[in-house]
Amino acid sequence: MSTTASRGRRRRRAPAAIAVAAALAGALYGFAPIDAGASSHREAPLTAADPAVDNTDLYAFVSKDRPGYVNFVANWIPFEEPNGGPNFYPFATDASYYINVDNNGDARPDARFRWTFRTQDRRGTGTFLYNNGPVTSLDDENLLVRQIYTLESSFNGAPFKTRISGAPVAPSRTGRASMPDYGKLRDQAVVQLPGGWKIFAGQADDPFFLDLRVFDLLYGGDLSETGQDTLAGYNVNTIVLQVPFKDVALGGDAARNPVIGVWTTTDRPRVRITGGGSYGGQVQVSRLGNPLVNEVVVPNGLKDAFNASSPDRDAKNPTLVKRVTEPEVPKLIQAIYGIPAPATPRNDLAEIFLTGITTKAGGPIKADVNSQLNNADVSAAGFVPSEQLRLNLGVPIAGQPNRLGVLGGDLQGFPNGRRLTDDVVDIELQALVGAAQTGKLIDALAAGDKVDANDQAFGAAFPYVAPPNGAGVNTAGSGSAAGSGAGGMGGFGGATQPAPSTSDKPSAEAPAPSLTPAGYAGNTDSGQVPMAVAVSAVGAAGVLALALLFLIGWWRRRSRPAPITPGSTDETLQL
Amino acid sequence: MRRHRVVRATIVIVVAAAAILSIGAAFGRQSGPPPRQVAVRAASGPAASADPIVRAQERLRLVPRDWRTWAGLAVAYLERGRTTADPSYYPKADEAVRRSLALRPDDNADASVARGALANARHDFAAARRDALAATRLNAYGANAYAVLADAETQLGRPADATAAVQRLLDLRPGLSAYARGSYDLEQRGALAAATDLMRRALDAAMSPSDIAFCRGQLGDLAWLAGDLSGAAEQYAAGLGADPHAVSLLRGRARVAAASGRLDAAIADYADVTRRSPTVGYLLEYARLLRTAGRTREAAEQLALANDAQRLFVANGGVDGLTAAELAIEAGRPSDAVAAARAEWARRRHADVADILGWALHLAARDGEALRYARLAGARGALSATYAYHVGMIELSLGQRRAARADLERALRRNPAFSPIDAPAARRALAGLGGAR
Repeated sequence: MSTTASRGRRRRRAPAAIAVAAALAGALYGFAPIDAGASSHREAPLTAADPAVDNTDLYAFVSKDRPGYVNFVANWIPFEEPNGGPNFYPFATDASYYINVDNNGDARPDARFRWTFRTQDRRGTGTFLYNNGPVTSLDDENLLVRQIYTLESSFNGAPFKTRISGAPVAPSRTGRASMPDYGKLRDQAVVQLPGGWKIFAGQADDPFFLDLRVFDLLYGGDLSETGQDTLAGYNVNTIVLQVPFKDVALGGDAARNPVIGVWTTTDRPRVRITGGGSYGGQVQVSRLGNPLVNEVVVPNGLKDAFNASSPDRDAKNPTLVKRVTEPEVPKLIQAIYGIPAPATPRNDLAEIFLTGITTKAGGPIKADVNSQLNNADVSAAGFVPSEQLRLNLGVPIAGQPNRLGVLGGDLQGFPNGRRLTDDVVDIELQALVGAAQTGKLIDALAAGDKVDANDQAFGAAFPYVAPPNGAGVNTAGSGSAAGSGAGGMGGFGGATQPAPSTSDKPSAEAPAPSLTPAGYAGNTDSGQVPMAVAVSAVGAAGVLALALLFLIGWWRRRSRPAPITPGSTDETLQL
Repeated sequence: MRRHRVVRATIVIVVAAAAILSIGAAFGRQSGPPPRQVAVRAASGPAASADPIVRAQERLRLVPRDWRTWAGLAVAYLERGRTTADPSYYPKADEAVRRSLALRPDDNADASVARGALANARHDFAAARRDALAATRLNAYGANAYAVLADAETQLGRPADATAAVQRLLDLRPGLSAYARGSYDLEQRGALAAATDLMRRALDAAMSPSDIAFCRGQLGDLAWLAGDLSGAAEQYAAGLGADPHAVSLLRGRARVAAASGRLDAAIADYADVTRRSPTVGYLLEYARLLRTAGRTREAAEQLALANDAQRLFVANGGVDGLTAAELAIEAGRPSDAVAAARAEWARRRHADVADILGWALHLAARDGEALRYARLAGARGALSATYAYHVGMIELSLGQRRAARADLERALRRNPAFSPIDAPAARRALAGLGGAR
């Protein structure tokens, strides 16, 4: 009761206060604000975000520089400002970071990789700077604060085994004077492990590119004002892991079982303040598979529950499933652009997000791309739909990666895994309006958010991510180390592009894409050929087979044709 | 006197100025000069783009109907208000919450959380509790709702519900926010070691200078509670290294200096503290310190300023009987103090309120009733030397010499330097009782 009364008073008095303030306004600018606050009670921080543990993006791809190996890139702490003072962005030392791989489709991890970080702080009480002079190597005495990490792995539920401890983290790039040769520091943070593994952890240019204004769609806006990469120039903390196919494929056999599903999680230790204040167990505070799921698929009200949940519970979560099969975005797009929202339930989206694209789950997309159901040794009975980033390791290389991935006829791209160059914003927009089930891109949304590539070119070799930006945001990347100076909208096809590659056979370099594949003949202008794709690596010889018939008139009009990669033609399997 | 009036006039004028700035600047970058303290922080704190306020404003410029980010902006304003001890951010937070609710009136857990956090900041704990509970109904997995709920339940004196909310918060999202609240919950139950352990975890999770400063300040206060002055001093110094302008740390450092007999250093710090954050509580502490140093005229000035600040707070719709009672006690008006503390007790049953109500009753010569409340303050196990001192003095007044001796000894054992005024008083009382054993 007192609350209501006091609120009423507050309102009544406000006009008087404003009048007094207004009368004095002219004379007063420049005074430090002074408060009429009460004595403070205990007020603890209340942060909307917890960037050190909130995973922002996950990538999974195969790169042509090292066939037979798969790369995982996971990012935390977005919007790291490279300029404006010595900023240091540590990985959380009280958290465990995981990359999880499900290769049998039961929505439980079969391979787990765990990173834990420690901070070494040699500053003492003399300084609060992170370095006190030029840093020329990772063990330079001038580098006063550094992080090291332990990587452990667990396969098929076995206990975690330490793969390395004390591995160095590439430091936050604090400026040219402090770190005159950042490329060297970064190289020193690339570590090779037994078994062919390569690992990297540290700062990098944020590979995600989009115009944030695209989210205006979610609130009834249109895309009239887009085209600026709002993440350009910002850095992110990244973990990169490269392992042989056999370490993540079911049965160690990527020929028979080429499809894996990937997601990251971040855990913190569970804390009890009741019952004696005991500790023990972990709490999952973040989870991420497909890009933008938190923004587009599970927005309001469900995001927190989703981040706390595990994939094996997804199918039992009717709210989540409904968010996928009856999405809101197409309705919003229909209202603005008049593009009819496809009929629901959207089983095509269920394929993209929950099962992988497969003909084996009865979905509408006539293709077999990246469901564990297509692994030879997976039984349909044990398959559990769940939200994962699924990758078919056996898809042959795309000589010219298409930013629109599968929708652009490039089966090696998102939603088949995710390459650094994949334009997931445009792909998901198109998928939401039905492009995956019609095989036809929607012209009205063709430009998407009008940001088609990252501002920095990616590397052709491990760790692939561009080095951290050294210059202030929205200025040229003049201070960048090798590989990061190219800038611009280099986009796909650039020389330093990671040309994702393929195939178990280390020597197999994919053939150059044919620009006029047989399958296109006579259909190039129709713009409406249902997608019919089959990708599989199933077969006694383990030979990858691929058939692609996918035409997109719009795409052909504005760009080079989608690459087509013929496989061993007579081994094509329609699953 | 004349100077005093000038200072008062300055307060009124500057408050008005702050009101103007906050009204103008509610919508961010273009619409008004930022408060000066923001500029100060930008030089030492995170870069502009890492500033959550700027981040949210930038996003709202791009996605103006993003009601979640409007609520996020409100929380960012509240955080800035907390770390700078500058409530001119509260009206901005208020406006941002309204924008969020205008865009999405229903099913907007984020706005409920932000509005609840604002109510907590304004000491309207009952309203905060309602908003937090509404938010948990909309989103049972939203950690921040439980943080707001925990704060409200704590201040309302509903310890079981507070602990449950903190535990839920810890179960949903362990991290700085949860650890800090868990630590306070443990501290109130007297589990200082566990509270310190959890606050160390919070420090490990802290990334921003202000968060590091907060955790260091709390670790310092925990050391202080246990009478560990050098440990406290170390924590305050480390925290001030991360954020040299953190008012609560300057205050902690001043308190240690005063307890160590370095009154000049303490007074210098308090002058700084009250200039940066002229809240009633700090002004009152400053006044007491000046009185201890024999600078009675300056003490009276600060006390008058404290009264002015309280009047402004009340004029703005604030309700804080706890502070009103402390002011009345300081001014030698015990019956007013009793009335104010009673009113606050009717609103919320926090241990601090019980303690002040008990002490006010004692000063009003109603020791029988006083003892009941003073003992309630420590009933959950809080290890406050001041609580024990108050109980002991009331017992002494009631002629309960044995109990008085035990409680006064307890106070001094917990922290021999707990107050530059009260600790010597406790020693004198014990001497009168025949000395400490």
